[in-house]
Amino acid sequence: MSESDIEMIVAVIRPDKLGDVKQSLAEIGAPSLTVTNVSGRGSQPSKTGQWRGEEYVVDLHQKVKVECVVAEIPAEDVVEAIKEGAHTGEKGDGKIFVLPVESATQIRTGKEGVEAV
Amino acid sequence: MIGELLLQSESAMAIQNSVNYVWVLVVCFLIFFMQPGFALLESGQVRAKNVGNVLMKNMTDWTVGVLVFFLVGAGVTAISGALTTSGAELSIESAMPWLGEVGSTTFIGWLFGAVFAMTAATIVSGAVAERMNFKAYVFFAAVMTAIIYPVMPGFAWGNNGLLTAGGYLGDAIGVGYIDFAGATVVHMCGGIAGLVAAYMVGPRKGRYDENGNSQPIPGHSMLLAVLGTLILAFGWYGFNVGTQATVLSAGADGAFTFNGTALGLVALNTTLGMGAGGVAAMLVSTFWQGKPDPLWTANGLLAGLVGVTGAVSSVTWWGAVLIGLVVGALVLPTFRWTVDSLKIDDVCGVFAVHGGAGAIGTIMIPLVATSGTGGTFAYEFLGFDQLAMQIVGVLVIAAWTIITTMITLKIADALFGLRVSDEEEDIGLDQGEHGVSVYPEFTGDGAPEPSPTVTADGGDDVRTDGGRPTDATEDTE
Repeated sequence: MSESDIEMIVAVIRPDKLGDVKQSLAEIGAPSLTVTNVSGRGSQPSKTGQWRGEEYVVDLHQKVKVECVVAEIPAEDVVEAIKEGAHTGEKGDGKIFVLPVESATQIRTGKEGVEAV
Repeated sequence: MIGELLLQSESAMAIQNSVNYVWVLVVCFLIFFMQPGFALLESGQVRAKNVGNVLMKNMTDWTVGVLVFFLVGAGVTAISGALTTSGAELSIESAMPWLGEVGSTTFIGWLFGAVFAMTAATIVSGAVAERMNFKAYVFFAAVMTAIIYPVMPGFAWGNNGLLTAGGYLGDAIGVGYIDFAGATVVHMCGGIAGLVAAYMVGPRKGRYDENGNSQPIPGHSMLLAVLGTLILAFGWYGFNVGTQATVLSAGADGAFTFNGTALGLVALNTTLGMGAGGVAAMLVSTFWQGKPDPLWTANGLLAGLVGVTGAVSSVTWWGAVLIGLVVGALVLPTFRWTVDSLKIDDVCGVFAVHGGAGAIGTIMIPLVATSGTGGTFAYEFLGFDQLAMQIVGVLVIAAWTIITTMITLKIADALFGLRVSDEEEDIGLDQGEHGVSVYPEFTGDGAPEPSPTVTADGGDDVRTDGGRPTDATEDTE
């Protein structure tokens, strides 16, 4: 736990699992999230693309990055929820990271810290 | 009684012309709609950083092209036809649409010629995409619509011309060249000009590795490419069926004849050739790559259309299918040969789709021809003279296109340089040639004036040397 008691969970998941992850996050009461389309390389083997009969290697796979910031809900619960939603058992399911957050400010109200989250 | 007949005949002519020339105008608009088809097809096959340049080339060869074709090109067609026919009368005045006497159909006829000319011109941009200097391209497009293309219909179409029955070559062989709507006159001319231009401009950076092996440069949107293909196919109905320009004929007695049989044959063969080309290319791509490929199928569909374009009015239905199958199947191997053996970076495969398919489809005409439109459409071999004429015609058009394209591009090279700089190729021609971004992501806040200097800490300007601005009046000893 960081000093501010706020943590960020960053998960890189399969694009087609985003719906399941959103569902499982909503179920544990942490529906807020930020989503980005990303490309990345991990344990998933590279695949070959084809353009006019010429093959090329694609080793950066299309993924979706999900970022959630939580204060009152334990980060472990969020990690568990994302893991459940995004799991297929095949290589390329992605990774989840937990980071401490130094501060948080809600733009509309100006609230800071745990209240802002 | 005779006066009455004449009057009847005159109004019959008016009705006939009204129907036929309104039809011709409608197909002109349809053929014009091939332009957005080409724009989409080519845009989809290039990287996102070069889309604006491809669009500019497509718009410019139309806008510059129509002006040049009006002032020069149409006249060149008439003159080149007259010069290559023994005993033909050459009249500069009647050759130029803006010079001589204007008949009721002069300008309609000009537009009909113009939309074909612009189709030939726009094919080239697909071959030289992503690295050709814009000025050099515009110069080439102007010469293409002024001289290179216009000589082709002058040679092959109309009442006289080198390849027609009355022309020097046609007369020597004994038959006229058959290319109904321009498989070679328009498409092969564009396809070969594209091939020569792609060769002279050189391959895109990174297209070949140090060993000379080709490296794929995938286009940014197969969706646009396939949508463009289908729009082209739609316009093609105007191109082919519209070339059957006479819908209604009025006899001397004022009786009308509807030319539905001829129109129907052209429409049918156009459709069958397109279908067969797409199916053949899909099968070949499956065999070659393991899975049916949308882009090859789209290319095959177009190649099928190109292949039957010269043949639609004179071949059997199964002849159109056969031509479509052959040219569709050859698209992929022809493209690979262009890229791997000739080492020519023809980005959109215009030689495979327009050049090779046009030549083969047109040479095949005598082998699958029909005896006529008498309702039977029986098979008839048109003879070895006709076959020889088809081959000679293809060679003449190819030779003319290669030579004139090379000369034009040599001049363009000397005037403007054919290629953009290495740096410009890296950042993309959209930025380099036109200063635009076709897919802008984050833009400024839309302020009409430049935003005030932004500083990292909100204070004074941050200087890279770490110093602070001094007051000019301050003593700085």
